[in-house]
Amino acid sequence: MRPNDRRYTQTHEWVKPDGETMLIGITDFAVRELSNGNEDDLVYCDLPEAGRVLTAGETFGEIESVKAVSDLNAPVAGEVVETNVNIEEHLEVLAKDPWNAGWMIRLRPERKSLDGLMSAEEYEKFVAAGGH
Amino acid sequence: MQLWRTITTWDAPAAWNMGLDQALLESPEAPPTLRLYTWKPGALSLGYFQRFEDVPAAAQAPKVVRRITGGGAIHHQRELTFSIAVGLDDPLYAGLLGASYQRVHAVIAAALAEFGIDAQPRGERRLASDREGTGMCFHHSSALDLVWNERKGVGSAQRRKGGRVLHHGSIKLDTTPLEGDIASVADARRGVTPQEFAAVWTARLSRDLGWKLSASAPDPEERARAKQLALRFDDATFTRRR
Repeated sequence: MRPNDRRYTQTHEWVKPDGETMLIGITDFAVRELSNGNEDDLVYCDLPEAGRVLTAGETFGEIESVKAVSDLNAPVAGEVVETNVNIEEHLEVLAKDPWNAGWMIRLRPERKSLDGLMSAEEYEKFVAAGGH
Repeated sequence: MQLWRTITTWDAPAAWNMGLDQALLESPEAPPTLRLYTWKPGALSLGYFQRFEDVPAAAQAPKVVRRITGGGAIHHQRELTFSIAVGLDDPLYAGLLGASYQRVHAVIAAALAEFGIDAQPRGERRLASDREGTGMCFHHSSALDLVWNERKGVGSAQRRKGGRVLHHGSIKLDTTPLEGDIASVADARRGVTPQEFAAVWTARLSRDLGWKLSASAPDPEERARAKQLALRFDDATFTRRR
């Protein structure tokens, strides 16, 4: 079972409340799909600068594996207050620990509500059905 | 039988080619689409994340654009270029990324066989066409790439966005000076045209995957969007942004 302290999107991002802010990353399913099961296959990741204001669903970055480039989408609206710069140099972190060390951006959300996003249980079912 | 739209655009300019592919990716209501095309002039495309300076051949190409798909640079001359734009829930792209490459490449290999080419996935071996420092797609290989004569002859890469995929690929019909000694259809038969290869490949797609192909054209909205997006692909600040 994936962590139930956060919510999930259909494009395989997670968002986790953390005090007044929210952490955003991508799920193990996304990492596995992109990297074809080989962590060395992840080659680039572009993340936004602090201060950028995002709307819900807006693309905040891009990640490239050996065989695919994918957008990273904001699950909720808000202002980027911190970026995990470690990710850009050490993409293997995403495969090793997508839930904690693999967080990508910290957002000051416009609203605290996570309505409309999937619970861990709902995300499990979504992935079990193919994840698309 | 699954309905697919085919769009063929021969000898189009580089920026428009890339604009139309992005427009097809960003058309969620569009039917599954296979596009077959060539370039005029024969441009060089950089992978989305590549640095212009890391591709020495870019300085010699008549035109350079940046793709929205990743991977290495390609000189689009003497080849059939394709793009597939479809939802990620399509059977061709379901499951792991690698499986989608295997399915697409299997049908390309079947078409190549009709021209006398025995194409196989590279697997774990090293290739004679692998070269350091060029930044070229055909000089860098991975396990899923289609190879023959110990060289890479088909290159492809995907962009995934909003539940859809754009799968770009180049099937080499002959070599070019900018890419040098790589595999091509000319290894078995010289003078095969993109149109000839396209006809054989689409017949295999119908036979092997059960596709019902319908010759079509981009709709007016896609055309307008392609024209608008082509401006960005023509802009040197985008091409040289890394």
